[in-house]
Amino acid sequence: MSMMKLAVHNFKTSFKSYLSLIISLAFTILIFYNFQNILFSGVLTSLGESNTRNIRIIIQVITLVLICFILFFVWYSTNVFLTKRKKEIGIYVFMGLTNQKIGKLYMIETTLIGLVALGLGIGFGVLTTQLFQMIMMAISDISVELVFGFSLQAILLAAVVYLVIYFIFTLKGYVNIVRSSVLEMVSANKQNEYVKTKAWILILKSILGVIITGIGYYLAIKEGGIEVMSNVLSAVVFVIIGVYLLFGGLIPLICQKLADQKRFLYKRERNLWINNIIFRIKKNYHTYAMVSVLMLCSVTALATGFAMKNRYEGIVHFRNTYTFQILSSQTGLREEYKRVIEKESGIAYSSKIALLQLDSNAVDSPYQNQYYGILSYSQVQQLAKESGLDFPFEQLEEDEYISVSQLHLMSFITDSSLVTETINGKVYQEVEETSIPYLGYLQEKLNLYMVSDSQYQELMPLGTVVYCYNYKLSDMDHFEAAQDILKSYDNYDGLVSLDPNSNEIEWIKVLYSLCVFMFMVFVLASGSILFMKLYNDAYDEKERYQILHKIGISKKTLKKAIINELRFAYLTPLLVMSISSYFSVHSLAKLMQTKLLNVNIMSVLVIYVFIYICYRLSVSIYQKNVGIK
Amino acid sequence: MNEKKVVEIQNLVKNFGVRGFQTRVLKGIDLTIYRNDFIAIMGPSGSGKSTLLNILSTIDKATQGAVFIDGKDISKISNKELSKIRRDKIGFVFQDYNLLDTMTLQDNIVLPLSLNGVSSKICLEKSQRLADMFGLSAHLTKYPYQLSGGQKQRGATCRALITEPEIIFADEPTGALDSKSSHDLLECLKLVNDQGQATILMVTHDAFSASYAKDVYILSDGTIKCRLSKGTDRKEFYDRIIEMQASMGSDFS
Repeated sequence: MSMMKLAVHNFKTSFKSYLSLIISLAFTILIFYNFQNILFSGVLTSLGESNTRNIRIIIQVITLVLICFILFFVWYSTNVFLTKRKKEIGIYVFMGLTNQKIGKLYMIETTLIGLVALGLGIGFGVLTTQLFQMIMMAISDISVELVFGFSLQAILLAAVVYLVIYFIFTLKGYVNIVRSSVLEMVSANKQNEYVKTKAWILILKSILGVIITGIGYYLAIKEGGIEVMSNVLSAVVFVIIGVYLLFGGLIPLICQKLADQKRFLYKRERNLWINNIIFRIKKNYHTYAMVSVLMLCSVTALATGFAMKNRYEGIVHFRNTYTFQILSSQTGLREEYKRVIEKESGIAYSSKIALLQLDSNAVDSPYQNQYYGILSYSQVQQLAKESGLDFPFEQLEEDEYISVSQLHLMSFITDSSLVTETINGKVYQEVEETSIPYLGYLQEKLNLYMVSDSQYQELMPLGTVVYCYNYKLSDMDHFEAAQDILKSYDNYDGLVSLDPNSNEIEWIKVLYSLCVFMFMVFVLASGSILFMKLYNDAYDEKERYQILHKIGISKKTLKKAIINELRFAYLTPLLVMSISSYFSVHSLAKLMQTKLLNVNIMSVLVIYVFIYICYRLSVSIYQKNVGIK
Repeated sequence: MNEKKVVEIQNLVKNFGVRGFQTRVLKGIDLTIYRNDFIAIMGPSGSGKSTLLNILSTIDKATQGAVFIDGKDISKISNKELSKIRRDKIGFVFQDYNLLDTMTLQDNIVLPLSLNGVSSKICLEKSQRLADMFGLSAHLTKYPYQLSGGQKQRGATCRALITEPEIIFADEPTGALDSKSSHDLLECLKLVNDQGQATILMVTHDAFSASYAKDVYILSDGTIKCRLSKGTDRKEFYDRIIEMQASMGSDFS
């Protein structure tokens, strides 16, 4: 039998045990392809150029993340596969094959798996593109006409990226086999010389783990100025390292201590499953840590999506406050403009405010060429009343101001008490920052400070006063006509008209749906990694469970032990993720200046439900694999 | 002798193979084991020793005949009751020890008892006492891979004894041991038997091991050929077994 035939034969006969590997690989390709397809299929062109550009950038970033993910996933799955196959492959050694030949056999087999996975991934990818885009647009709440189509470019890109990564790891496996000794191959699955890890190493790891995770958490939620961004970045690194140390140190330590407490241990199935966990966690803690981090990523991705959605709604809210904003250097034109507009449409409400534009020289600020506007307390109060907006502020002291700001997409300054402004040599303290859209669209474009009336008078000579007249139409259908008549009227310095049907910022909604997808991808990945790990573990455990069955222990008892063990395997990463997610989402919520606790709880619950399903499946398959079903 | 019957085998027949091509491995075996017996079953390869033991330990089912363990016919009771019998009435010792490599020796010994829901206090006491008896006290916290074959097998025997089963089935317990370890193990088995703590059925092909038993049955070609009973002297008994083997002429190894 030639090498090729043998490999194909092997592949056919053990196709079932390769299935989990193939499916998970195909799944990653499918996801990757679908993201690429959005870029290449032209579905975005209907969203306008600026949206397309923004989405393109986002998808490119996501592509990078996905490539890292594929890299990691392929590495992981081929590694698991290699250890599993080594013993089997080792038998060929006795048949007189050289390591090179066995390596070649392995190469052919894994290449077959890779190609089948690629075929399935691309095939199903093409079939699901429309579904994928449909769901994405539905989540984004954008109506785009979808046509079934796939782009060759996307297919090629996905295939090339995947094949390159896959080939690297197949080669790595080949080198590994060529270099390994016969003994190692024959007994690859039998290295049971288990030694308890020395307690002091575990204690050291646990202490470090707790401290590092703690620092990470602290950095994530610490209030601060401009350094918040670097804090968050280091928090990410700290938490990842910390989680690894926790799984490598604290959890084995707790289990070993429990196992030493014989009074505790010798209760029902504990003896069995706690010992098993101690034995397993030495090999598995990487997986658990990784899954925790992945799940954490997924929660954060979803929270980012929701924050973006909030932000989108916020921006829409700014834009929808007024339909027209007319700027003029003259006062007292409110009624005049009103009459002009009313020729075409009814007006829901209108308001007027004086805006003191400051020269940027008067403001001591690191940013040049920015516009600064000063508002007076009583005028804003009046405007709020007329426009039906909230005005929840106390009278201001002489050296205080309220920042009337836009909704930042990201804000790095989370502690407003740190912020001061120096205007004309005088230091003002910020007491609050508000995003109530008093000035509608203009608020997004200007830096606005609300000061007390007397301070406003004092600053008056430093700049020029512009009057801003705001109108909101009662019927948006007449927008165009009203806009035309205003344009022809032309007795003003500036006109801002806000088309309610504009789709300039649709890309944020797309970003939101992409985040939801990332969430799903990460959750699926973490679930399937845990599942795969336990699936393979079950094969190793088979012998042990057979012994237990032989010495007369009932299947029912063994099932209980398995349930306990798997529950632990699934629950610990979940627990670590739940705690960490609070901090990551909290820090994100602060950066994005929005509340995300609900999103946090909801996404964690979704993950719980999904992982629970994986857990139930695992239990049943584990029982089957160890042969007690 | 205590007259309580622990195991009663009546006309046990076992066939292998599909209809029409059947081989009769056991051809009608009758055997009664009373409390505190120590029985060795000897026989050449293919004589049906393992089949007999498999049927007795409820792993396999008989074609005909009945096996009563503690008064219950194991071919007629439900799976649930069967697993209860395995759990409470039978202890197993295997040739290849079958200790779990993931836990310490003490955890291994205690395992069946703790799984039955016995309180941890009793588990600890019993395991200590058995370990003392089998000379394993110093090794309780070690893992199987740190122990010698003899220590492992004595540990496995402790595990079989800890639930105080009605009977111990030992399948070639000395098969993988050197003569010194075999001797230690057999002395231990003899000790627990003499103290009235265990009824033992041992399958072996080794005359030396068999000579520790009180009675030896020789199985050949699916039937019990003869029964030898120990007098007072083990050495003399050993010679008789060897003589019998020689007279039967079969290959016993």
